[in-house]
Amino acid sequence: MNLSVNGVPHNIESAPLTSLLDVLREELQITSAKAGCEQGGCGACTVLIDGEPQRSCLTPVVAVEGAEITTVEGLGTPNDLAPVQQAFTHHYAAQCGFCTSGMMLAAHAYVEHGGTEDREAIQDALGGHVCRCTGYVKIIDAVAAVARGDSFDATLTAAGTRMTNLGGVA
Amino acid sequence: MKAVGARVPRYDGVAHATGRTEFVDDVRVPGTLWVKALRSPSHHADITRLDVSAAVAMKGVRAVITADDVPLLEYGHLSALGIPADEPLLAKGEVRYKGQPIAVVAADDEEIAQAAVDAIGLDLTEKPALFDIRKAFDADAPRIHQWGNWYTHFEGGMDRRQIRKGNIEDAFDKADVIVQGVYRPAAIEHVPLETQVSLVVPEANGRLTIYSCTQALYFSMGVVAAHLQLPLNKLKFVGGTVGGGFGGKVDTATETICALLAQKSGRPVKWRWTREEEFLCSSTRAPWHMEIADAVTKDGWILGRKMLTLHDSGAYSRFSPYGLTKHSFHHTGAYSIPNLEFDGYVVYTNRVPTTAMRGFGVTSVSFATETHLSRIAHELGVDPFELRLKNANRIGDTSPNQIAYTDPSTVPTILAIANALGHKLTPDYRAMTRDPRSGDLLPEHLVAQIGSTEGH
Ligand code: FES
Ligand code: FES
Repeated sequence: MNLSVNGVPHNIESAPLTSLLDVLREELQITSAKAGCEQGGCGACTVLIDGEPQRSCLTPVVAVEGAEITTVEGLGTPNDLAPVQQAFTHHYAAQCGFCTSGMMLAAHAYVEHGGTEDREAIQDALGGHVCRCTGYVKIIDAVAAVARGDSFDATLTAAGTRMTNLGGVA
Repeated sequence: MKAVGARVPRYDGVAHATGRTEFVDDVRVPGTLWVKALRSPSHHADITRLDVSAAVAMKGVRAVITADDVPLLEYGHLSALGIPADEPLLAKGEVRYKGQPIAVVAADDEEIAQAAVDAIGLDLTEKPALFDIRKAFDADAPRIHQWGNWYTHFEGGMDRRQIRKGNIEDAFDKADVIVQGVYRPAAIEHVPLETQVSLVVPEANGRLTIYSCTQALYFSMGVVAAHLQLPLNKLKFVGGTVGGGFGGKVDTATETICALLAQKSGRPVKWRWTREEEFLCSSTRAPWHMEIADAVTKDGWILGRKMLTLHDSGAYSRFSPYGLTKHSFHHTGAYSIPNLEFDGYVVYTNRVPTTAMRGFGVTSVSFATETHLSRIAHELGVDPFELRLKNANRIGDTSPNQIAYTDPSTVPTILAIANALGHKLTPDYRAMTRDPRSGDLLPEHLVAQIGSTEGH
C-alpha cells in the first residue's frame, strides 16, 4: 500500500494493522513521532493526516492508505523553521522535547484552521497532549504568538533583547 | 556570570523543534532484539518453581536470563559509599513487590518476546504483604526482610537517623502548649513522557555501548560494571538526552539487564517499558508518615520539636537512606527551632521501591512543617504570617545538623508573599530582616534560648 509522508511517496510493507506510529518509526525510520503510551493517552505520537492532528499509535496504517502524512520534519528545517517551530524555540516551550513534536503539530493545525490567541481555545485544542516538564504556560505562550502572527528574529530572545555570544552556552 | 538573568537560547531548542533530538528509542541499530520481562504477579511470595526451558526453546528467542545469570546479583547505587545493597537485579527465591522482574527474554520481535515470557513456568507461595509503613513498623508485623522491616545501617550501626539538639525536655517543660499533628503524603509517580528505555550494542572490540536515558550516567555506569563484574573500560555510555526524569531516572532500571542480554545473545538489545510497566513497576516518590509535636509559647515561639518520620522505601533500600538523611537535616523546614529530638526510619513495604523525586526527602517535610505551622497559628489564634516570621531562619541560626545559615531567604520570602496577597502586617513585622537575631520581638525570657546562636 502507498502513503505519502512529508510529500515523499512510500510503498509500505508492514502488515495492514500495524500502527501508523510503528510504520513511521520502525519501517520508515522517521522518529519524530514518539511512543509515549501507545494507547491514545498522551499525544506524543500525533501526526497530521491530511492536515488533521491524529494519534498515530491508534491508527492502523491500512486506514490511511493514500493519505498525506505530515510529521515535524515536514514543517521546516533548522535553517528554515516554520512559525510554530520558531515560536516554540523562542518561548522555551520545549524542555525535554519528548512531547514537542506532537504539541507543535496540534498547534500548527490549530492556527491553520484559524485558531486565535485565546488561551482557553488553545487549551482546548491541545487538551489531549500531556507535557510533564513545562507546566504548559510557555507552550500556550508559543501558540498564542503564532496565532497573533508574531514574527521572530532568530537573534532575539523572548524578552526582546538581542542574544549575545555567551561563550558556548548559546 | 553573563548567563545569569539573561535569556539564552537552549542549546537543544532547535533540535527539539525540528524533531531531530535523538532519544534512546530513536537510535536505530539493525538486528536489535526486543525485551520483555516476567514480572511478579504477587506482592510478596516465595518462588517455588521457575522454569524457563520452554522460553529458551522457542524459535526467535535469543537469550533468557534469570538471577543465576547475573555475576553479582546484589549491588546498589549507594554501594560505593558503603551502604549495603539489598536488592537483587532479578528476584531469587522470593518476590517482594508486584512487578518485580524475575526472568527476562530477548527475542527477534516484541510478540515472540511476550510469547516466551508467557511460556515461563512460575509457581509462587503467597506470603502476607504490607502496604502501609506505619503498620509495617509495628513490632508484630509480618517480616519483609530477614532482618526486619527497616534499614539498619546508619552511622555507628544505628537502625535510625537520629538528631538531638539543645535540651528538648526543657523546651517541653517551658511550653505553654504542645501542638501535635500527623502528616502522610502519598506516593507520586514521575510519569516522564519517555518511559524507561535503553539500548545495548555489543561491539566487535568486546565493549558494550550503552544508550541510556539515565539522569545519573556515572551512577549507572558503576552499577552496570559491578553487576556484570566488568572493568569500566568495557562500557561506553551514551546519555544526556532524557525524555523527562524528575528523579525517576536516577535508578538504573533497564541498562544492566539489557547489557546481560546483549552479552548472552551477542546482539543489540533494546528494552523500552510500556506505559503500563512505567505506572505499575517503576519507582515512585515515597509515601511518608510524619508525627510532629511542637512545644510552643502562647504567642507563637516554637521552642522545641519532637518528630518521628517513617520513610516508605518500598521493598528495597535503593536511595532511601540518603533521602531520609536529607529529610532529617531539613526537618524544621525554613524555620529555626532550637531544641530537637528527631528519629527517622527507612521502613520497607511490599510496594515498588521508591526513589528520588524533585526535592528528594525535603518536599515531604516542607509540606508537614507548613501545614503544622498553620495548625499552630490556628490553635493559638495568632497570625500565620507573624508566626512564620518569628520563627524564620535568620543569618547565624543553625540547621538541625548544626550548619550555620549564611544566606537564609525565609524572611524576605514571607514578606514578599504577604505583600503580594495584601496581607496586613504591623510595622514591627514589616521591618523584619534576615539579619542575625537581636532580640527584636523576642520576649526577654527567650533571648537566651532563641536569640543567641550558641547551643542551637
Ligand atoms: S503514544 Fe499515542 S497517544 Fe501516547
Ligand atoms: S517538554 Fe518534556 S514532556 Fe513536554
